[in-house]
Amino acid sequence: MELRPILTTLRRHKTASALIVLEIALSCAIICNAMFLISQRIDHLNRVSGLAENELVRVQLTGIGKDDNDVALTATDLAALRALPGVRDATVTNEVPFVNSSWNSSVNMSKDQQQPTLSSTVYMADDHFINSFGLKLVAGRNFGADELIDWKTFNAPNAKVAIPSVIITRSMADKLFPGQQAVGKSFYSWGDDPMRVVGVVEHLVRPSEQGGDVGHEYSMILPLRTPYTVGGNYVIRVTDPARRDEVLKAAIDTLKRNGPSRIILADNTMTFEALRAKYTQQDRSMVWLLVAVCIALLVVTALGIVGLASFWVQQRTKQIGVRRALGATRGQILRYFQTENFLLATLGIVLGMMLAYGINQLLMGKYELPRLPALYLPVGAVALWLLGQLSVLGPARRAAAVPPAVATRSV
Amino acid sequence: MFAYYFDLALRSFRRNKALTALMVLAIALGIGASMTTLTVFHVLSGDPIPNKSRQLFVAQLDPASKDGYIPGEEPADQMTRFDAETLLRQHRGVHQAMMTGGSAGIEPQQAGMDPFYADARYTSADFFQMFDAPFQYGNGWSGREDDKHERVAVIASDLNKKLFGGGNSVGKALRVNGHDFRIVGVLAPWRPTPKFYDMYNDRFGELEQVFVPFSTSRDLEMDRSGSMDCWDDHRDNDDPEGEAGVNAPCTWIQYWVELDTPAQVSAYHQYLVNYSDQQRASGRFERPTNVRLRDVMTWLDVNKIVPGDVRLQLWLAFGFLAVCLLNTVGLLLAKFLRRSSEIGVRRALGASRRAIFAQCLVEAGTIGLVGGVLGLGLALLGLWAVRQQPNSYNALAHLDVTMLLTTFLIAIVASLLAGLLPAWRACQVAPAIQLKSQ
Amino acid sequence: MLDMRQVTKVYRTELVETHALRALDLHVREGEFVAVTGPSGSGKTTFLNIAGLLETFTGGEYKLDGEDVRGMSDDARSKLRNRKIGFIFQSFNLIPDLNLFDNVDVPLRYRGMSATERRQRIEEALARVGLGSRMKHYPAELSGGQQQRAAIARALAGSPRLLLADEPTGNLDSQMARGVLELLEEINGQGTTIVMVTHDPELAARAQRNVHIVDGMATDLSVEPSLRRAFAGANAGT
Repeated sequence: MELRPILTTLRRHKTASALIVLEIALSCAIICNAMFLISQRIDHLNRVSGLAENELVRVQLTGIGKDDNDVALTATDLAALRALPGVRDATVTNEVPFVNSSWNSSVNMSKDQQQPTLSSTVYMADDHFINSFGLKLVAGRNFGADELIDWKTFNAPNAKVAIPSVIITRSMADKLFPGQQAVGKSFYSWGDDPMRVVGVVEHLVRPSEQGGDVGHEYSMILPLRTPYTVGGNYVIRVTDPARRDEVLKAAIDTLKRNGPSRIILADNTMTFEALRAKYTQQDRSMVWLLVAVCIALLVVTALGIVGLASFWVQQRTKQIGVRRALGATRGQILRYFQTENFLLATLGIVLGMMLAYGINQLLMGKYELPRLPALYLPVGAVALWLLGQLSVLGPARRAAAVPPAVATRSV
Repeated sequence: MFAYYFDLALRSFRRNKALTALMVLAIALGIGASMTTLTVFHVLSGDPIPNKSRQLFVAQLDPASKDGYIPGEEPADQMTRFDAETLLRQHRGVHQAMMTGGSAGIEPQQAGMDPFYADARYTSADFFQMFDAPFQYGNGWSGREDDKHERVAVIASDLNKKLFGGGNSVGKALRVNGHDFRIVGVLAPWRPTPKFYDMYNDRFGELEQVFVPFSTSRDLEMDRSGSMDCWDDHRDNDDPEGEAGVNAPCTWIQYWVELDTPAQVSAYHQYLVNYSDQQRASGRFERPTNVRLRDVMTWLDVNKIVPGDVRLQLWLAFGFLAVCLLNTVGLLLAKFLRRSSEIGVRRALGASRRAIFAQCLVEAGTIGLVGGVLGLGLALLGLWAVRQQPNSYNALAHLDVTMLLTTFLIAIVASLLAGLLPAWRACQVAPAIQLKSQ
Repeated sequence: MLDMRQVTKVYRTELVETHALRALDLHVREGEFVAVTGPSGSGKTTFLNIAGLLETFTGGEYKLDGEDVRGMSDDARSKLRNRKIGFIFQSFNLIPDLNLFDNVDVPLRYRGMSATERRQRIEEALARVGLGSRMKHYPAELSGGQQQRAAIARALAGSPRLLLADEPTGNLDSQMARGVLELLEEINGQGTTIVMVTHDPELAARAQRNVHIVDGMATDLSVEPSLRRAFAGANAGT
């Protein structure tokens, strides 16, 4: 196929050609970035939490006013919950993943360090925490019952109680002690005394978006036994995921009966699966929106190409007739228009790639996105080439159908 | 002539139904998407208190220790209790208030109603006057109740409806956290958008239901909600209130001041600087003096009140609109040039280039108008979809008059812009006489 | 009425220079009915374009109804064309979307007339060409001859000083052509100047005067009646 005559023709219809090229370029740029955003969100949605999510339910409750009996009540609560049928284990803690509030603390390697090494979230746990959440220990051990410290004791004014041990995540261990065994090492966080790492769990995600992508698993578990008045989170692990709703209802009843003057926060009491779904609703909406926009863009661009190509065919009907009269076959006419479209699409895609990177730069600055990986460019390119070819098929077939007799007719 | 061109445009639409429908649809989609996102943006970035937003200021100090200090950093966005209470006592502003969020366990007196949990705000007296809180019955309390730590409360209209059927409940008792409070005021329905006074408590959520004096909340050790940032171990002293104590090294209080003239603003700023210097001299502040005094809109801006996702969606929608417009340019070009012969005849009959240009622009504008109407419908649909999302601010996504007018403005301006190139090309068509030789 | 003195028109492209008109001298007095003849490529199309202010010319002088048009802006030419000239094309060139009333209306709209005046003129013009009862019909519903008459009505509605006709009967059969020609003669009889470009020698013979354009220059055949007859004879066989 001779490219030069096609290029010459296109040069004479500069405006319409430029419009097609620009439209394809802009669509390509937006679609590449949109697809990237979609994959980012999907990654976010698929984050490993470390929890046995489909086996967990959470009840959040609060007392009315002060409860001087909270420690004892918590103990009886837990005993009752663990005794329920279908329950594998239960624990109480200050915070849970997939909510927007969290406890955080800075972590230093030495006592007088001026700038913290990192900021980590703080889970306060008893010895049932790891089993209840279904976390996986990859080094070291769980807390022993004798290591646990009561929160009230720790938090009392002038208490000066040291926390001897801590369990951290692998992500945090890699950051604090790169390349080394974390178990046995120490760092400083709460208080003036160092805490020794006694165990490392494979994954434990933080609540909220603190720490961004890098630090989303900077979590430490402290052996602080909290009463229900600190956070009010009871987490229950069931033996059979099918029994979650049943267990949840039973748990609520038990807690209500065990301490009547307490309020169950119904909006926050649900299975962890539901909690995660609620928490990630925003991301899912964004993904759907981006998908919708991509589809709409493709449709609009396709229609634009169809419109302009049809117009061109109509304008050049006489020329097409002449070509046919001079011996061109239908297939050659068809291929002529397809090649023309391919050239324009190529130019548009090249421009679009550059524009895509430009847009990505802007987004990187404003929304803390990483750089667009090169993978998306060929995908976007192929999509738009295909789109162009499909769109021009209709008008090109109409062009090929122009009878050679048109050449001899005048007006 | 405009009416004539309008009539010609309508005739042309009837003749090319498919092409016109395509153009209208493209514009409508672009407008629908843009107006949906723009409305959400407009709602979220609006002024929550337009009459007074330039007179209300949030005060910021930098009380933390040297640990973790990075020069040039922003100061703390909340205050310590010590600083807030001191500034409040010295009352250098026209009005000032210290406050924080909390929660209240309400035990209804009515039989058959279970105890429930409501969002609360612990604040000093000036809150209501400063923020123009509208009252349905009664009014707020005064500094006297603050000083005496009295158990008084102002409740919101929703709570009033739930407990007292919406009637005048001033003087009645409200049992909060096991203690009896006396209701002194009931607020009329009020939803500042956003709740600018506290950036840590559901910015676009509903109003707190219970307001009690800050001092009283400390007496009764009521639970607080919001963000608390401690830079030191508060357990070093023996304050039974722990981190909520007066001398705790923690920031958790919002401090707002009303200043009416620019002179007052600069005076107050100087006052904050002097106060910081004094604190540093006495050894309490370790960092260099670093104060801020920001009005409402600046404060919202600094806190990036519009979520990143909303901004992103706005840009996405406008990018989509741009593609739709490019589309329209191409289709308009095709439409006009298809009629070259008619244009040539009109020119021969005496139409100037300007007349043809005007005729084409009117046609483009009319497409924009129709596209705008359809786009408005799509935007309403889009906003309905937004309202179904479980976010707190999505419930506020409604099209107001400004946005309605903006829709048409954008539609018409955009289509006129899109029509410029095609109209210019159309008016370049030579006056036709020898069509037989083409 | 129409005074062209030494008018030249040169088309320049990157490679070729074409002299469409060379020193054309042509004068038409008010009330005349002139036919312009010539072989294809002779420049009569160019002449018509320039006469009708549709194109600019390179050199020489052109006065239309006493006004010197050299150097006029496109806007000024459009206005002059609108007021003083009526066009009749070979292929009628009625706008298909509009009915006859609206077609005749087009030049009047660009004049800025009031609605009542326009209506009056349109009705008069259509009645004059015998199409008064077909005002609401569309061009597609009419025969070739009727369409051409509608086009003539359009040309007349603005009371032009000069009618320029380009092969007005080219697309008509002989019967319709006769009708159109009679109409033109009638209009000329009422005082309108007509310049008609045509191939047809019989048509040319009906005019008062013939001008023959060859290779961009004009020869006035009325001065040489012998030449005219010779021309008529020469072209009779084509």
